[in-house]
Amino acid sequence: MIDWEYSESIESAEIVSIKKKYANYIGGKFLEPKSKKYLDTISPSTENLLAKVPLSNQQDVNSAVNAARIGFETWSKISPSQRSRYLFKIARLIQERSREFAVLESLDGGKPIKESRDFDLPQVAANFFYFAGWADKLDLSWSTKSLKPYGVVGQIIPWNFPLLMLAWKIAPALATGNTVVLKPAESTPLTALLFAEICEQAGLPAGVVNIVTGDGSTGSLIVNHKDINKIAFTGSTQVGKLIQKSLAGREVGLTLELGGKAANIVYEDAAIDQAVEGVVNGIFFNQGHVCCAGSRLLLQESIHDQFISKLEKRMQSLRVGNPLDKNTDIGAINSKEQLDKITNLVNEGLEDGGELFQTQCDLPGNGFWFKPTLFTNVQPSYSIAREEIFGPVLTTLTFRTPEEAVEIANNTEYGLSAGVWTEKGSKILWTADRLDAGVVWANTFNKFDPSSPFGGYKESGFGREGGRHGLLSYLKASS
Amino acid sequence: MIDIKKTYKNYVGGKYVRSESGKTYTKELKNEFYELPLTSKKDIRDAVTSSKDGYKKWSSTTPYLRMQILYRLSEMIEGNKESYVELLMDHGLTKQKANKDIDESIQNIVWFAGLADKWEQLAGNLNPVSEEYFNISHQNPIGVVFSLSGSNISLNELLMSILPSLTVGCSVISYSEENSVVALKFAEDINNSDFPSGSLNILSGKFENILDDVSKHVEINLVALHKELDNDGLKSIEENASESVKRVFSQPSIEGLSSILPYLETKTVWHPKGT
Repeated sequence: MIDWEYSESIESAEIVSIKKKYANYIGGKFLEPKSKKYLDTISPSTENLLAKVPLSNQQDVNSAVNAARIGFETWSKISPSQRSRYLFKIARLIQERSREFAVLESLDGGKPIKESRDFDLPQVAANFFYFAGWADKLDLSWSTKSLKPYGVVGQIIPWNFPLLMLAWKIAPALATGNTVVLKPAESTPLTALLFAEICEQAGLPAGVVNIVTGDGSTGSLIVNHKDINKIAFTGSTQVGKLIQKSLAGREVGLTLELGGKAANIVYEDAAIDQAVEGVVNGIFFNQGHVCCAGSRLLLQESIHDQFISKLEKRMQSLRVGNPLDKNTDIGAINSKEQLDKITNLVNEGLEDGGELFQTQCDLPGNGFWFKPTLFTNVQPSYSIAREEIFGPVLTTLTFRTPEEAVEIANNTEYGLSAGVWTEKGSKILWTADRLDAGVVWANTFNKFDPSSPFGGYKESGFGREGGRHGLLSYLKASS
Repeated sequence: MIDIKKTYKNYVGGKYVRSESGKTYTKELKNEFYELPLTSKKDIRDAVTSSKDGYKKWSSTTPYLRMQILYRLSEMIEGNKESYVELLMDHGLTKQKANKDIDESIQNIVWFAGLADKWEQLAGNLNPVSEEYFNISHQNPIGVVFSLSGSNISLNELLMSILPSLTVGCSVISYSEENSVVALKFAEDINNSDFPSGSLNILSGKFENILDDVSKHVEINLVALHKELDNDGLKSIEENASESVKRVFSQPSIEGLSSILPYLETKTVWHPKGT
């Protein structure tokens, strides 16, 4: 057997220049935080300090909301076709600087460069392009003229797809005539701050986009601000519930895109090799830091052994390591905190009696890493089968009949996504109809497009992002 | 001869039932005293159980049949028009207003009946994704809806708090306080219109008694308030609702297509194209 020596292929980080210290972007200006406090943002693949970013306080949030209120006066009065052109311009600027953004995303967040370069950034540009075209067609979108923007929207986004979540939030909000105060996640603020430069380059009127960084306390200040008209949040169900509670009795709009525990159902008549690929993509994409990850593999009993054996073999070929290596499949876990959470849940799975398979691979000395992990012999009551792990950990359950598969799939408080694998068309449609999930991927998984609505049933939240339906998240019916 | 007075009861699971608590509240109409069911926590739980079952049956009824059942409801009300007008007049409405209310009610039922097999075409669509995939967004009804009707004496307002969610396949627990005699009479026409049992349950009582039970019940998927509540009441409902990410709509739009949107969950299905 030939022993091929591995040759890495590292993307240069030189394309991006990271400042030592960043400022908030408020009212078209980069402003030092009035809090005078900063947070460190590190690279999770090396644990090296990348930069300091503002830990924004009440005064900073007040400035941002005020700026957005003033911005709304301008933005809601300019013609829809002008709004459209600004968004087109932003989309183009992102395309032009996409490599810079991709490298920064991988450095700050730990995701493989092949994902930030080939998935995140193209999707970011596509979202601005898609919503640019809606800005001057809102009256056609839902056959009514009575839909109006909310005004100032507070947007709080997670660390798993930092710039893409920014695009999902900002593009539709601006297209519909709202202005925004956006807070990126504590551990991944840098691409949002770089996006502020794009807003400047595009000549976007002051106050239309405001970006303040900080931790959960800053997010809470935005949610509780008296002059906010709507909150859009993507993150955990736990925090989503707190936000919903904070807004009780207030006339503030809300959309929530929360957690998931998606079932990926593989019937015995599926194309097995394709299904193995899809299951791998479903759970190991972006280190499993994906709210819609296919984290519960539901296998029809008759194919269990064959499928698991192929799956383990395929998992073994996944390359874990430096996110900037173009060959890397699985990068760094986003933070120490997340790594601890994954580790604890996996230990719990072992104690419960789950059978563990992890790939054999060397992990770098520094940084946060977790080996691709598969559990078999799992009972539906185990926490690894119920709780969102948000890491590269797949749990397996089995079923005998389609009815049972649907019952297991729906037996969760979540309802974000699901997968179905079979070569029989009627079975796909039958299953898809019965799954309580906002997105159903049939014979594929983890596909996204700006024209395709995304969002959850049940405790996975409410409202949709993307597509014609995504516009409704930023428009309210008014007489 | 002494008049025979009607006994009004809750309508749950296709049956007329008293409150299990045995409690009532009194409403006086034309010098007669009516003892109306004072719905209890246990009654709400029973109604939810019935509505879950009703949801399964009603949401799996074909749109074509749902349309006909709704249309049949308009036939029933047309047939009983006089008695509705009389009841509204007993509540103090003028004959003209009462007639208008029933005419509008019938017209709205016919409008929603015709929507039953069309809303999916209006609210869903194919998505033009940029790869070789078939991608469609269509809707499911959200499930069990609790709807608090307004305080005006009106069949039409009651209907507008029920029809949007019922038309798209939700099961509805309709709760009335001031308008309860009209609502409980309306239950008779529901009973005669081939609705599956549990698809529409009609209850009366004091909302404050059950506010907590409704907003905390995790099997109620959505709470629609067609009545202005004081801020404490609304806050309390929305706080309770957050524990299960329950949807709450305060005075939702009852206009056109936007009337049904709160009651829909959008589901997007992807499939690759290939040979």
